[in-house]
Amino acid sequence: MTNQTKAQFIAVASITSELSAVMVVAKEISLAAANAKAIAFRAGDKAKGFQPITDFINELAKETIELVTNINIYALVLYRLTVEEFQKTVTYNKFELAAKMAEGAVHAKSMQEPVDHAKLAMQDCQRRFRRDVSQLLGQLEAVMHHARAARVIAANSRIEASQAGEYLQSLQAVAESVDKAAHTIHDNVQRCRIALSIYRNS
Amino acid sequence: MKMTKIYEGSHQWIMFGRDEGKPNNIIDTNQYVVRTTNRCLLLDPGGAELFAPMMAAVLHHAPVNQITDLFASHQDPDVISSLGLWDQALTNAKLHAPALWEGFLRHYSCDSIEYVPIPDNGGSIKLESVELQLIPAHYLHSSGNFHVYDPQAKILMSGDVGGAIEGPGTPVFVDNFAAHVEKMRYWHQRWMPSNQAKRVWIERVRNLDIDILAPQHGRMFKGDDVKRFLDWFDALQVGIAV
Repeated sequence: MTNQTKAQFIAVASITSELSAVMVVAKEISLAAANAKAIAFRAGDKAKGFQPITDFINELAKETIELVTNINIYALVLYRLTVEEFQKTVTYNKFELAAKMAEGAVHAKSMQEPVDHAKLAMQDCQRRFRRDVSQLLGQLEAVMHHARAARVIAANSRIEASQAGEYLQSLQAVAESVDKAAHTIHDNVQRCRIALSIYRNS
Repeated sequence: MKMTKIYEGSHQWIMFGRDEGKPNNIIDTNQYVVRTTNRCLLLDPGGAELFAPMMAAVLHHAPVNQITDLFASHQDPDVISSLGLWDQALTNAKLHAPALWEGFLRHYSCDSIEYVPIPDNGGSIKLESVELQLIPAHYLHSSGNFHVYDPQAKILMSGDVGGAIEGPGTPVFVDNFAAHVEKMRYWHQRWMPSNQAKRVWIERVRNLDIDILAPQHGRMFKGDDVKRFLDWFDALQVGIAV
C-alpha cells in the first residue's frame, strides 16, 4: 500500500471520528437550548427577547445532528469506495505486471483486454471517489454554516442576557456554552474539510 | 516461472513452479494446467502473490478467454487466494471447489466466476473430450479436500499429499526416493491429521493406474516411486501434534 493510499484511508476514517465529536457537541447545544428555555420562562418579561432565540438554538442543534447523521452514512460509503478503489488499483497493477511478464508469450496480446477493463474500473472508482468527496465537502460546508449561525446566535444571546436582570449570569452561561460548542463544531469540521480537500481535484 | 510439460497426448498437462521472483517468505507451490484444444483448466492456481507470474506463464499455452476452469483442492491461501484476481480477469470461467468451502472461498471474491461446488463424494470435470475425476481426499489435510485424476494421462494431482518443502531450484521429479523421504516426513506427520483418512485415501488411490503423482509442493513422483510413496505413506503415523 502506498503512502498516498494510506493517507486516503486515514483521511476518510478520520471524518467519522471528527464527526462523532461534533455529534456530542450538537447534543450539548440541544441541552443548552432546553436549559435556556426553562430559564427564559422563569425570567418572564425580563428575558422576553431570549425566548425565540432558545427555539432557534434548539432547531439549529437538531438540524446539525441530522446533517451529521447523514454525513456519517455518506462517510461510510466513501470508506467502502476507498477500499474498492484500493482493490481495483491492486488488480490493475497485477494485470499490468502479468502483461509485462508475458511479453514474448504466444498469447500475450490476449491480456490487453483484462488490463484495459481493470484500468477503466480503477479510473471509474477514482472518479466516483472525487465526486463523492466533493459532495461530502458540500455537506460539511452546510455544517460549517450552522456553526457560524450558532456563533451569531450566541452573540445575540449575550445582548439579550444583559437585559435579564438576576438571570443575566445563567443566560450568559447558555450563550457561552453555545459559542463554545459552535467553535468546536467549526474546528472539527474544518479539519475534515482540510483532510478531504486534497482529494477533490487530485 | 518454470514450465514442465508432463503429459502430451490428446491434451496436455503442464506443471508450473519454482518461480524465481517469488518472495522468500511465502511457500513454494506447484500449479498445474490441463490444456485441451479450446479450453484450459488451472489446478490450484496459487496465491495472490503468484497471480502475475502464473498468468504470464499460462499465456504461453492459452489465451485468456480459453482459461475456462479453475480447480481448488481445498481452501488454503497458497491454493486459491488469487481467486479475486482471476475473477476479474476471466469473463467465462468456472471454479470447481469443495462444496464445504463455498462460503469461505467466496471471501476471496467470486462474482463473475461460477462456483461449481463438489459434493463430498466427488465428481468430475469435463474438458471437451477429456474427463477428469475428482477424488475425495478429505482430512488430507483439509476437512473438504479433493484430488484430480486423469485416467488418460494417468496423472493424479494430489494436493498437499506427497508434498515437501525444499529450497529454490529443486528438480521437479523425485530422483532418489530414499533421500527424499526425510524431506517429506515432517510435512506429512504434522499437516495430515488422520490416520484413518490416510488409510481410506490410500486404498482408494491404489485402485487407480498412476504414472505421475503430482503434489502441490515439492517434487512429483513417477513410475515406481508412486508405489514407493504410497507404501511409505501407509506406514507413517500422522497427526503427531496432539
